[in-house]
Amino acid sequence: MTYKVEEIENKRIVHLNGEIDMDVADKARSTILPLIEAGHEVIINLSKVLYMDSSGISVLIESKKLSEKKNTKFELVDISKPVEKVLAMARKFL
Amino acid sequence: MSGLAQTNHTEKKDFLVRSSSLKDVRTFCREVFEKLHIEQNLKEELVLAIAEAAQNIVKHAYKDNPDTEDKMVVQISCNENKLQIGFYDMGTPVDPTKVKHREIDNVKPGGLGTFFIQEIMDAVEFKDGNKPWINHLVLTKKL
Repeated sequence: MTYKVEEIENKRIVHLNGEIDMDVADKARSTILPLIEAGHEVIINLSKVLYMDSSGISVLIESKKLSEKKNTKFELVDISKPVEKVLAMARKFL
Repeated sequence: MSGLAQTNHTEKKDFLVRSSSLKDVRTFCREVFEKLHIEQNLKEELVLAIAEAAQNIVKHAYKDNPDTEDKMVVQISCNENKLQIGFYDMGTPVDPTKVKHREIDNVKPGGLGTFFIQEIMDAVEFKDGNKPWINHLVLTKKL
């Protein structure tokens, strides 16, 4: 997994790329959570994520919960088809 | 799915029990499903279920032994329109009665893997592991 963070005023757009599984979930978590913790509006661009498992979904759930606690905006955009499918299965937990 | 998926076919491969092997598990599965001509959507669902089961071995059966050199085996068999995926490991014995996905109203992260496996597969069964194996999980899907 690789990523790029784009900064636009208080927005941080995180472009994730590749496959997100248990092996890289901590890397994703340590990229996203500090941005939310710092009070930024965080947007996750998932257009180039080819695979995501339950570990990746867990990172998104944690991020959403933290943003609710910090009262900041957290959004997923340009969701790729493979991720949309997994999200649809996990929807009842989101 | 083509007629080839209806023929008898078995392949197995072993992997070091660690999270960095999960990508190799997925690659192995995709290669086998390619040979079986399983259609793309189903293929990716099956890959997810298998990778989640392998992840559970790393995460739970070897929770206290993360630097193990043990290997786990993944075996994919297709026989008369039935796909069977076997997992063998030598980790901590699994108590099948304690393997459940979490409650829907519990939004804490983690524990989703078992839910995905149950959503995707038709049957999930723990069998007695014959020596040297401790755990033997079998996932089944009718094609």
